[in-house]
Amino acid sequence: MKNKKPNTIRKILAIRGMGAALSAFVGLIIIYIAFGLINPEVFSGQNILNLLRSMSKYLLIGIAQSYVLITGNIDLSIGTMVGMSSMISATLMSNGVTPIVAISVSLGACLATGVVNGCLVGKFKLPPFIATLGTMFVTRGVAYMVNGNRNTSSISSGIGKEAGDAFQNFFYYGTTFGIYNTFWIALIIFAIFFFILSKTRTGRHIYAIGSNIDAAKLSGVNVVATTTKVYIVSAICSWMVGLILCAQACMGNMEAGNMYEMYGVAAGVIGGVSPLGGTGILLGTFGGAAVWQTLENGLNMIGAQVGIQRLVIGIIVVAAVLLDVVVRSGEFGKKKEKHN
Amino acid sequence: MSETIVSMKGICKSFPGVMALDHVDFELRAGEVMALLGENGAGKSTLMKVLSGVYTRDAGELEIFGKKYGDLTPKHAQEAGVAIIHQELNMCRHLSVAENMFLGREIVEKGVLNNAEMERQAKAILDDLKIDINPKQMVGDLPVSKQQMVEIAKALSVNARILIMDEPTSALTAKEIEDLFQIIRKLKSEGKGIVYISHRLEELQHIVDRVTIMRDSQYITSMNFADTNLDEIIANMVGREIKEKFPKVECEKGEKVFEVKNLNAGKMVRDINFSVYAGEIVGFAGLMGAGRTEVTRAIFGADKKESGQIFVDGKEVKIKCPEDAIQQGVVLAPEDRKKDGLCTKLSIRHNLALPNLDMVCNKLGVVNSKEEKKICKKAVEDLKIKTPSVEVDSGNLSGGNQQKVVVGKWLVRNSRVVIFDEPTRGIDVGAKVEIYNLMNELKKQGIAVMFVSSEMPEVMGIADRIIVMCDGRITGELMAKDATQNEILKLATTFEDKNIGKSEEVAL
Repeated sequence: MKNKKPNTIRKILAIRGMGAALSAFVGLIIIYIAFGLINPEVFSGQNILNLLRSMSKYLLIGIAQSYVLITGNIDLSIGTMVGMSSMISATLMSNGVTPIVAISVSLGACLATGVVNGCLVGKFKLPPFIATLGTMFVTRGVAYMVNGNRNTSSISSGIGKEAGDAFQNFFYYGTTFGIYNTFWIALIIFAIFFFILSKTRTGRHIYAIGSNIDAAKLSGVNVVATTTKVYIVSAICSWMVGLILCAQACMGNMEAGNMYEMYGVAAGVIGGVSPLGGTGILLGTFGGAAVWQTLENGLNMIGAQVGIQRLVIGIIVVAAVLLDVVVRSGEFGKKKEKHN
Repeated sequence: MSETIVSMKGICKSFPGVMALDHVDFELRAGEVMALLGENGAGKSTLMKVLSGVYTRDAGELEIFGKKYGDLTPKHAQEAGVAIIHQELNMCRHLSVAENMFLGREIVEKGVLNNAEMERQAKAILDDLKIDINPKQMVGDLPVSKQQMVEIAKALSVNARILIMDEPTSALTAKEIEDLFQIIRKLKSEGKGIVYISHRLEELQHIVDRVTIMRDSQYITSMNFADTNLDEIIANMVGREIKEKFPKVECEKGEKVFEVKNLNAGKMVRDINFSVYAGEIVGFAGLMGAGRTEVTRAIFGADKKESGQIFVDGKEVKIKCPEDAIQQGVVLAPEDRKKDGLCTKLSIRHNLALPNLDMVCNKLGVVNSKEEKKICKKAVEDLKIKTPSVEVDSGNLSGGNQQKVVVGKWLVRNSRVVIFDEPTRGIDVGAKVEIYNLMNELKKQGIAVMFVSSEMPEVMGIADRIIVMCDGRITGELMAKDATQNEILKLATTFEDKNIGKSEEVAL
């Protein structure tokens, strides 16, 4: 028994990316306790529930961006897909279309965006920064256009109060086993994509492309298909966040999801996902999203102004990457010695 | 005679503006090692890319195991049993050995990766080849030689029966080369056909059965290795007799130009003392990993020094960073041209001017293009850089010409000490001689020339004095004219710990 325990720990630590992921969780605990000591309200049950609900958005966005980052690419259209998803579903619902149809249509729009992103980057070899910059503007444009350059009225005004409440409860206000549905949704999506990334062939190919795209190609990996899949994952997660925002506000906001793609980068990077590709695990992204939300929540609870919040969060992101760079350069140094 | 497994006839391939293959014939039999030889740009790699499906041929016939192939794709080539071990290793360094070996054809059960099974099979293949690597290890953590072995194992794991090896030994030590040759012999005895591309002609005799020679995109000849000799091979490769493989210039030994005293920098640079006089070339010999590159980097200020003094023309100079070194006239042409020596995406002009911007800029930092052009023109003429224009991207030049640009940017300044690290690696025979001539020219001008090389004949042929390193220390010094390969090898394997290096009987 005694022998077995350290072995399991070592095994867990040996998983690639686990170190960075765990350090995000260590950081999370420290930040959480520090805020709690200043304002004990932070520890209250209701606050924890709120925290879990609001971190769900960042978790989903983080998954979206992490998938793309691991292939060594980036998706700038995440935030605008969120806005588009929210606006399309809200516009339809406020005009009396049933929720299931409304969200299906917005899913279609997001998937189409994801496929376009994947083709532009994977097939036509456009730099991902440029390709998704284009789709970013296009999708924001769509978000503006669907309701004639106006935010929508309340979704309940179209589908009726009952259906509107049901929609809002399902995605935002309702609870299951005492925890907000939003978190359960995010957790299920997290579990699915965690599984795909770590246990399936597609996941392996995603890492391979980010690590060495030429080697992947020469090994018979379908780079175009895998890149497209990654952008589709990003689209699905963005779509879901759009629905959550729509449910939260009970309406569609044209600017919903503004800057979310960058929050996604931040969540991934804090959790050890390298923007250079090839490394990182979704558990780290989970930690990163939690750190991000805890910071926002904690700074709020201790009465810090928005300006201060942004400033602190910015510093944390850079510090996390800096740490990553320092660790990496140590790794490179070691490698060089061996190599020569 | 054993069965012919690859037959290529009249293969043509052209790229915009270039005829890369001009009716080339090639034949490979089962159980033989065929050396494919030629200068850089002769078309060897292109031919092999046609065979492995990376390029489609424009014309010609291609048969693999008696089956005709039209437009071969990499996938078809792989299925036909063709595998290529690339010169620049193609591995995902973030993935493990087993993951790399099974990349693209993972073993999956009900949608879930079966890592245990893949690791087991990887282990079996590695064991079969007597390669001692843990399949769980990250490829990025392995030394280059081991990565190469993994690549071979990967090729075999897809049942490759035709193996193409492009410069497989360029990054290996003598011992590792011997290991590789063992593996090649084993594969040969199993009836596999091996195409072996190498610039190191000396090593051919250990494994090669036949040679095919290409020149200027054309097929020249094929012969049994036993019926020919190196001189004939070289003559066929370059189309002219190279009389002196190592042109040597005798100079009067002059003043002491450069001296290093008690240099220490990490494990691989320990208590280094040596000096270089005007009119001589000092060669640094040793096995790979002996610390020679580290010494050059420490001198140049690219890596941190722990202690030590450096003297140029008898005056002590402080070198903390490469900028200091350049100011003091100490310059380095690094080992990895593409990575450390050149900005490959920039033009020759930009590269030549880069370290000399202080000389071509006015006080406001504006580049004086007239001055810049003058520098470039002189460098291109002096060094005979073959290029249509200085505006060509340096990445598009051949290895030899790239090396000339690297050296050229230093010769613009009045450098006192020029350090070359593996100056001829991956460069074809003709260009090598030009680099040697260049070094000799510097020597004549009284510049201290220090060079690191892993090719023993080169060190013995070019250097006047040879310093041998092992394990981060200088283990001996020899005059080139009295030195023998055995002596150098003995010094190069003089490890501190007697248990490590004693037994190695190294064949070169």
